[in-house]
Amino acid sequence: MKLSIESVSKQYRGNTWALRDFSLELRPGVLGLLGPNGAGKTTLMSILATITRATRGRVLWNDIDLAQNPDAIRKVLGYLPQDFGVYPNLNAVEFLEYMAAVKGLDASTSRRRIDELLNLVNLSDVRKRPLGGYSGGMKQRIGIAQALLNDPQLLIVDEPTAGLDPEERVRFRNLLSELSGERVIILSTHIVSDVEATATDIALISSGTLVAHATPEALLRQVEGKVWEGIVPSGDLQTVKQKYLISGTTRRADGVHIRILASSAPPAAEPLPPTLEDAYLYCLNTHRGAAA
Amino acid sequence: MNQARVLYHLVRADFLERVRRYSFLVTLAAATYLGYCCVTGKIVIRLNDYRGIYNSAWLGCLMTLVTTTFLSLIGFYIVKNAIQRDQETRVGRILASTPMTKSFYTVAKSISNFAVLATMVMVMALSALLMQWLKAEDPHVHVWSLLLPFFLFALPAMAFTGALAVLFETVPGLRGGVGNVVYFFVWSALLAIPVSSLDTGGHMSDATYYADFTGVVSIMGQMQEDLHAIDPSYKNGAALTIGDTATTKTFLWTGLRVSRAVYLSRLSSLLLALALALLAAIFFHRFDPAREWSLKKARPDIVIRSNGELAPTPASPVQAPAHLTPLTRSSSGSSLPRLVIAELKLMLKGLRWWWYAIAAAIFVASLASPLDSVRDGVALAALIWPVLLWSQMGTREARFNTASLIFSAEHSLQRQLPAVWIAGIAVAALTNGGLGIRLLIARDYPSLLAWIACCLFVPTLALALGIWSGTSKTFEAIYTVWWYMGPAHHMPVLDFLGTSPESARPQLYLILTAVAVAAAYLGRRVKLAYA
Repeated sequence: MKLSIESVSKQYRGNTWALRDFSLELRPGVLGLLGPNGAGKTTLMSILATITRATRGRVLWNDIDLAQNPDAIRKVLGYLPQDFGVYPNLNAVEFLEYMAAVKGLDASTSRRRIDELLNLVNLSDVRKRPLGGYSGGMKQRIGIAQALLNDPQLLIVDEPTAGLDPEERVRFRNLLSELSGERVIILSTHIVSDVEATATDIALISSGTLVAHATPEALLRQVEGKVWEGIVPSGDLQTVKQKYLISGTTRRADGVHIRILASSAPPAAEPLPPTLEDAYLYCLNTHRGAAA
Repeated sequence: MNQARVLYHLVRADFLERVRRYSFLVTLAAATYLGYCCVTGKIVIRLNDYRGIYNSAWLGCLMTLVTTTFLSLIGFYIVKNAIQRDQETRVGRILASTPMTKSFYTVAKSISNFAVLATMVMVMALSALLMQWLKAEDPHVHVWSLLLPFFLFALPAMAFTGALAVLFETVPGLRGGVGNVVYFFVWSALLAIPVSSLDTGGHMSDATYYADFTGVVSIMGQMQEDLHAIDPSYKNGAALTIGDTATTKTFLWTGLRVSRAVYLSRLSSLLLALALALLAAIFFHRFDPAREWSLKKARPDIVIRSNGELAPTPASPVQAPAHLTPLTRSSSGSSLPRLVIAELKLMLKGLRWWWYAIAAAIFVASLASPLDSVRDGVALAALIWPVLLWSQMGTREARFNTASLIFSAEHSLQRQLPAVWIAGIAVAALTNGGLGIRLLIARDYPSLLAWIACCLFVPTLALALGIWSGTSKTFEAIYTVWWYMGPAHHMPVLDFLGTSPESARPQLYLILTAVAVAAAYLGRRVKLAYA
């Protein structure tokens, strides 16, 4: 099971490049695709989900070119777009039955699967309520359920935890971890904690290009010895921000505790163990510096 | 910021948002085509065998009448989305949180509608100028004579149309497809009421001027009067004619005489437009979903607590196990019949009991009434009743933003599209089934063939128009006009039901069905990244 993205570029009208020469090879596991807003994550997801065609490059699923045979990927694909709708007059069961029919599942399999999925996303109690009356978080869970209908080998989820409350977010992360056995999962997000909890690999994307592709541990190693904590008076905060890359601030009685990313120790700063968020900010900042 | 400035920016933003859309170019092209039809003589004003020499006065009036009659119909459907767009883009909620009053908003939307329509009027005015140059019957351009009818009649008519569109968007029940169908009949009535005055040869009461919102009677009445002075044997015939444009004589018409009644009637049109915009404010829900009225009864399953809060989302333990039974790949298969049933359910879901009751009544009446009266009455009702079901075909995925879910599924073009099509045909066959059974029993096979062609053609047309236009309005507007002119008034080529042997053209509609199927397939294929 292998998904290969080979030099994929996507150009929109007005000479805007959303992706440039993006290459990646994925095997079973969870890939956390991290990047700031507008980095090209959703464009890449749309290309992989056969919604958008790449301007250049190719995508291969088990060495089958998506441009030649899109159904090779579609029949094993579960896709949760960032922005999607539902039919408001249908209830959860009816909507999932409809989606199961669209995906070509047989009746008995889809009935059993829908029951399991509604339990899984915790919507069994409201299965007969029209979707028009669902909250944003409940609709998101219906989206998750439809993505899993066909037991996908390739699961693409774009900002899946948007609109979920903290409890449901944790639940969804657990679900992704449990699903990650023999399938390729791509989790696109700008929320580092989502990736931290689930990803076996991380790809950092910025301005349409791949900044880094590594395991979380390898990314963390990059910022080993580069994270510091200092305490400054509130009035000095702006000056420090101009001088250093800051990954976090906390106001306390003795001043503002700042988390600094720097190659050498700032004055009076103590070393800290790095987090993935530190690594993410460090990599992006280094990439931007190199690009500039 | 003063109110005028706020109004200016509100109208400007809305206007720019619309004119920068691709669809606006299409509508401008349609306006240009109307101008072209006049230039090439496909649309003329006929006074029996006469028409006016193509001077500035005549051409200005001809183009004005084309504008007011056609653009007041087409333009309504073009601009009837100003509030809907604010709702869809969520901009409305932001606007609703500002101090802006409801009346201010509806007036601004009416002005924006007017601005869009006025742009099309401008295109028509330029066409008039071009036409005079091309026809070269009178080389002297009198700008005032050319433009006066546009100012006097076209612009007030567009203001009225724009405001009426806002009113329709705010009134519950008229907001959606029902309103689109209703407007056609409102427009027909507005056109028809004053036209009887033309039979008197242009002698009109002042009240007629006020009822004449398109200016057809006001302008043609003067033309009739002037022709009478030239040729006393003139028989009072007057029509804006499409297609049948052969005239044998011309006369010189020097232009409009603008009486006080004309001025006052046009002023009243503008005031009426303002009144409609203000009336719309009464119905406008200010983007509050809780105040949106629906023909459907309130859903009982949305539990509202006594303190007004929605019942909480069902919660679950964080550590609840996630168990899914793995599927074998053989669980998948081609299940077109299941998908057809699913599409049919989707199409019918949400309809209230009375919709089915009336559909059933139409069906029973088709079986019980004499066949001739079924053809001229009940069958027509059966053809218009499901119009809002058909108009959703091909547009549902865009409307509900489900395209990315559905089009990323395997064989969506080969399975989902045919499933929608078959579901639409099933609706046509069921709602019109009474007539089909009667024709079968009567062994009227030619009429049965026309019935089959009709059941195939209507949903296919809906699907093709839905896919290409992306909106249900296109089918609702075109189909209603077609239904009115064809089956309801037996115009031979347009009678897709074949209500009489003389007007039946089943072969033509089977061919058109095939063309529409190809168009639908091609349209969907173009929209998919990978077919």
